[in-house]
Amino acid sequence: MRNGMSPGRTPSQHNSTLAISPFITNRYSRTVAPAQQQQQQQQQTQIQQTKHKRPQTADKDNDNQQNSSATYSRMDNFQAIVSSPLGLKTRDAPVAQPSLATPYHQTKRNNEDESIKINKNGSMFGLAIPSTVRKVSIQETDYRNNSNVTKTNIDDVMDNRNDTTNDKLTTTLTTTTTAATTTDIDVSELTSVERLRLWRHDSLMQHMYDTAEYIGNKIYTITKDPNDAFWLAQVYYYKGAYKRVIDLLSMDDLDTTSIMCQYLITLCLFNLTKYDDALDIIGETNPFATTTATATDADDDMSMIQDLQNDGGIKIESSLCFLRGKIYSAQNNFTRAKECFKEAVLVDVKNFEAFQQLTNKNLLTPKEEWDLLDCLDFSELGDNETMIKQLYTICCSNYINKERLTEARKILCEEYSLGQNVDVIRGKIELCFTSCKYNECLDYCEKYLSHDELNTKILPTYISCLQELGASNKLFLVSHNLAERIPKEPITWYAVATYYMTLKKIIEARKFYSKCLIMDPFFAPAWLGFVHTFAAEGEQDQALAAYSTAARFFPGNHLPNMFLGMQYMSLNNYALAEEYFTLAYDICSQDPLLLNEMGVLYFKKDEFEKSKKYLNRAMEQVSDLNPTAKTAISIQLNLVHTYRKLGDYERAIKCFKYVLDDSEKDGDIYLTLGFLYLKVKQLEKAISFLHKALALKPKNTAAQELLLHALELNVVLAIDDDHPLVVSSKIQDEIDRTEMWNSDDLLTKTHLEPTNVKKRPSIPFLDSKNLSKRSRKNQPTAEEDDAMDLE
Amino acid sequence: MNEINTIEILRDVRDSLRCSSIQLSQWKLMKSAKWSIEALHGMEDTPLASGDISEEHMADASSSSSPSKMLFNDPRVRKIPQLNDGFTQDEFDKYLLASSLFDCKEFDRCAYFLENVTEPRLKFLQLYCKYLSWDKKTVESVENILVTGKVKNGNNINDNIDMIENGDSEQNAEMNGFTDFTNTQSKQKNGVQYMEDGHQSSVALLLKELRDYLNANESNFLNSKDTELGVALLYYLKGVLLNQNGNKPQALTAFINSLSLYSYNWTCWIELLDCVSRLDESLLILKHLNEQFELSQQNNIGTQQIGSQNVMLKFFKLSLFQEFSGNIDEFLENLELLLTVTPNFAFLKAQNALVYYNHMDYANSENIFDQIIKIDPYRLEDLDIYSNILYVMQKQSKLAYLAQFVSQIDRFRPETCSIIANYYSARQEHEKSIMYFRRALILNKKSTSAWTLMGHEFVELKNSHAAVECYRRAVDINNRDFRAWYGLGQAYEVLDMHMYSLYYFQKACALKPLDRRMWQATAECYSKLKHSGGAIKCYQRALQLSANPDQESLLFYRLAQQYEEAGEMDNCKHYMTKCMELERTNEGLVTDEAIKAKLWLANDAFQNKKYEEAYNLAIGITNGTSQEVEEARTIARNCRMLLK
Repeated sequence: MRNGMSPGRTPSQHNSTLAISPFITNRYSRTVAPAQQQQQQQQQTQIQQTKHKRPQTADKDNDNQQNSSATYSRMDNFQAIVSSPLGLKTRDAPVAQPSLATPYHQTKRNNEDESIKINKNGSMFGLAIPSTVRKVSIQETDYRNNSNVTKTNIDDVMDNRNDTTNDKLTTTLTTTTTAATTTDIDVSELTSVERLRLWRHDSLMQHMYDTAEYIGNKIYTITKDPNDAFWLAQVYYYKGAYKRVIDLLSMDDLDTTSIMCQYLITLCLFNLTKYDDALDIIGETNPFATTTATATDADDDMSMIQDLQNDGGIKIESSLCFLRGKIYSAQNNFTRAKECFKEAVLVDVKNFEAFQQLTNKNLLTPKEEWDLLDCLDFSELGDNETMIKQLYTICCSNYINKERLTEARKILCEEYSLGQNVDVIRGKIELCFTSCKYNECLDYCEKYLSHDELNTKILPTYISCLQELGASNKLFLVSHNLAERIPKEPITWYAVATYYMTLKKIIEARKFYSKCLIMDPFFAPAWLGFVHTFAAEGEQDQALAAYSTAARFFPGNHLPNMFLGMQYMSLNNYALAEEYFTLAYDICSQDPLLLNEMGVLYFKKDEFEKSKKYLNRAMEQVSDLNPTAKTAISIQLNLVHTYRKLGDYERAIKCFKYVLDDSEKDGDIYLTLGFLYLKVKQLEKAISFLHKALALKPKNTAAQELLLHALELNVVLAIDDDHPLVVSSKIQDEIDRTEMWNSDDLLTKTHLEPTNVKKRPSIPFLDSKNLSKRSRKNQPTAEEDDAMDLE
Repeated sequence: MNEINTIEILRDVRDSLRCSSIQLSQWKLMKSAKWSIEALHGMEDTPLASGDISEEHMADASSSSSPSKMLFNDPRVRKIPQLNDGFTQDEFDKYLLASSLFDCKEFDRCAYFLENVTEPRLKFLQLYCKYLSWDKKTVESVENILVTGKVKNGNNINDNIDMIENGDSEQNAEMNGFTDFTNTQSKQKNGVQYMEDGHQSSVALLLKELRDYLNANESNFLNSKDTELGVALLYYLKGVLLNQNGNKPQALTAFINSLSLYSYNWTCWIELLDCVSRLDESLLILKHLNEQFELSQQNNIGTQQIGSQNVMLKFFKLSLFQEFSGNIDEFLENLELLLTVTPNFAFLKAQNALVYYNHMDYANSENIFDQIIKIDPYRLEDLDIYSNILYVMQKQSKLAYLAQFVSQIDRFRPETCSIIANYYSARQEHEKSIMYFRRALILNKKSTSAWTLMGHEFVELKNSHAAVECYRRAVDINNRDFRAWYGLGQAYEVLDMHMYSLYYFQKACALKPLDRRMWQATAECYSKLKHSGGAIKCYQRALQLSANPDQESLLFYRLAQQYEEAGEMDNCKHYMTKCMELERTNEGLVTDEAIKAKLWLANDAFQNKKYEEAYNLAIGITNGTSQEVEEARTIARNCRMLLK
């Protein structure tokens, strides 16, 4: 039955295992999903073709390996082994290559000379090893060799099957294709070693590592098979015994021959924080990069590479690149790390972790993120192409390309009904947060967290949101909750620190921020919070140092640079501030906060035109925000000051009116407004606004001085026709003459005799009004510009 | 013809008041509802109306000989609005729940259960609850400071909020800009109440929600007539919120919108009045109401749709006059008319009394208040004014009786506290008086008169700074209160800050341009600031406004002084002479100013070498201070010597 070893559909021994095995579920879904029908057909076809070739290869095989023969006839049923990464990759591990060979290259060689390859394989493992590995490689080779053959449809398969009805192999094949998952394997037919392997695999799947280790150890001692060594190492890895993994794998020089083993060893070294050793093993750059490039020479080579990639999993090359990136980032070499991650995701788009590292850890600037996204080739994902592409899209920064994000979210919601999925919701939440719609954001967060309370993707935004809203009580509850349930996650301590921050307990906050950072040094919000504690205490030097570290840690995040600029600005070092702002601006030119700060900087440098430009751009950015948001208001205010400096007082006042419509009262707003009215010579208004300012902030000396000045002006103001006193007198006269009572009134007193109204009082004081009327000119009321807003 | 119309109008007014009372109490606008039903009660036994109706319907409704026996199922009586009008069953149940919670003062709960309602009336109730809840919390935080005795409040709360807000330094850090100009560029969020569970409420947020709702449903409202009451209520709330936010012009628009949809909402008229802060504005609003104000068909019954016939409009004009004064004849006509409509309405009587009070005719005012107490003995509204009158008239025993009486009715009403405070003030127990004013203010922080009177008490205690704070509060709440402005001016005068006091006197003067005292105070300030030009103008204006401009010896003398300062000796002399001549017209009654004027003139004549004239003037000075008499004698002696 060896020919049934297509990587597609070999069932597992137990349904239980089937359900949990990562290998199987992968394949299983492929056979079941109707969308994959075509692919499955193709595979079936290939298998059929393989079968035709079967005799020769099998013969050769048998020739070469005397002791293998029929003992392993049912080997193909071992899903785990067949699809074992080692099994797949060791075939490709060449001896001919000087250091590390690309799998693609190897297939090419296989193509050239099949028999040589087999010999090589044989020599590599020695005759004594009747490994499944080899069989896999043989099968794979055949499969590849024939992949270019004209595709046959299912009918052909049926025909073929009919041709070989009496062939025993065919029956097996039929069962695997039609009832891949339901076939019960007759355990009794297996050899003893096979049974042990099954045992090992099953206990591994059920996380019973001691059993797995125990059995694996026995198997390895019996067979001395590198494959079994690999699996034993795998068990060690799961147990966390990284040292033992390394020891085991380096014993048989497996680390130099098998890429999978290398990967595992590097992973272990990484976990043991032996970064240099790890780098030694996998190399400082991607060794495959050049070969991949040359492999594009021939068309058939390409197609073979395509086939190889189509095994559905993540390409080992990509994983290696990712691992390399992680090592670099652990060594704080962020440029290299970024390149490695980028390479990883470019080699295989399925390597989401690499993509996540790039987007979440602020390695890329928003623009770079979008560029990368556009470079990615999703075509190999088949029918999932659009969905995955949209999913990746919503991971990107929402500072730019907002419409693309909305579109992606719409597609995901409508076509894939992923509206309730965590990533889609997260996108929405983050958008709300960056647009300062905190209440809305909070609602979304709480809705989602109600059924997934410990989601570490949502929690940071949720906590920041609570901080924004000053919800210290809720933060208290949340952080306690987290501390009870996941005390080992950095997010927990971030929450605790934020709670102290809202209470203004700086020392405690700093303590917990640093605790969080020890757990995850790349947790950007905690970093920034940590630095803010220094800034809040006015420890400029420490703040500056910490900000620069943060800027180095998060090259794709403009905030550290911006804060650096702000620190320098508060130290009145405008040149440095400008430099840092420019750096931040290069990273993200859309952030209203940054634009605002730049506006402020130029304001301080007395370059008001420039300031106006930046502030206006900031206004554009916040145009769709909640107008009561602090950001929007502070930008407006800064703009007002700029207009003021530019001498455009009318415009400044107009701007202010807009702010006052929406915002709460603030002493400084009134102060500036008073100042502006003073400038445009509206004394009365100026004084009344300055009074308001002083009412809100009694100790404001600027307001006091301005008020004094205004009052001085008020004294010398000539009492002419425009003086408010004169104006109000005139108005009073006007009112006296206004008919309050319409003439066509029906309720006239002729019909309703006043019964209990006293005689009209004679009011001596009012008698003077006739006199005053005479003395004043009759002029129409001077209407104030903004007195009324009727209709 | 006119007679029938009159009857019709009266009937419509009656129906409108009845309906509005029911609807408004359904929607928890209790004050308005109370006002409506009191007004209805006040017109109950209008003799003319009852007689006519019974006459008119004698033929077909012989059984009901008197309208008081007319049953509600009578087809001539307009249908009484039902609680469930225009509701689906679900909405009605929701309303009942919300209504109960509201009555138990559980505003947060009420708002919570009304979340996501779309029916405009329910939406109103929800937002109204939110507002009340916010208000309650804000008041509570202010109260503490009031109770502990610090008059100046607000700062402590603001500081706390500052603390909270500076916490989110990431966002706040961007505000470090412009610190050179404004010392602390911090928050915009005074008055935000944090629930600490992430919910916050502020007037701005409520306003935004309300605006969003109104904008989203604008088209629906235009099409359907059924929602008019709800929309009117929402506009009313919008106005209240805007007013709270200090945005008076927009609030005014909202109130007018609300009133044109539903005019029988008295508090809405009061709020509208509150939005008018200047004389010219009052003129404009009057013009607008007379010419453009349209009343909707739906909620205004019969003749009440016509602006000129709408009783509420007339009531509003009455109140407008009280605030801004105007043509007194028109006003009295108006008042008489309304008194024929609702003869027993205590509110209207109180308005009548207020007019007398405002024109300082205290005796008449007192009479009317006595009447009011007879009709409605337990009504506490406006009685604080009554106590002011008694205070001014120095009727101590009556004031004491009133204080005792009202404290028996309800000790925890702001009016009661004010009355008791007045009583203590009359007994010269100013500390106690201040305590009671403070109590009154805790109960109603918007009472300007209490703030102002408290200011007066502080002045009595020579605590000018505290007085200033009180007056400030008063003008913050109602910047039309000329007494508070005047008080501010006086307090600053005591503090020798004439520049400030000038501004406040100017304010008071602008509000009461026909009050001589205001002009005189302003003029005095000008003179103290050595700005004789302004002083002269103001004195002259005061003179013009004087009741008998030929008798103002003080004004003449001051004017003369100012002209002297300005170097216009001719004018100076003219007024000095005028001042002196008053002596003659007053038949020998000599004022201090006349003596001073005479002395000045004598001096002047002496200097101009008119010794004879100087001599004559100088010997005329027989009384006055010893110094003056001495000086006059010196002049006379010198003159005599020189003449010889």
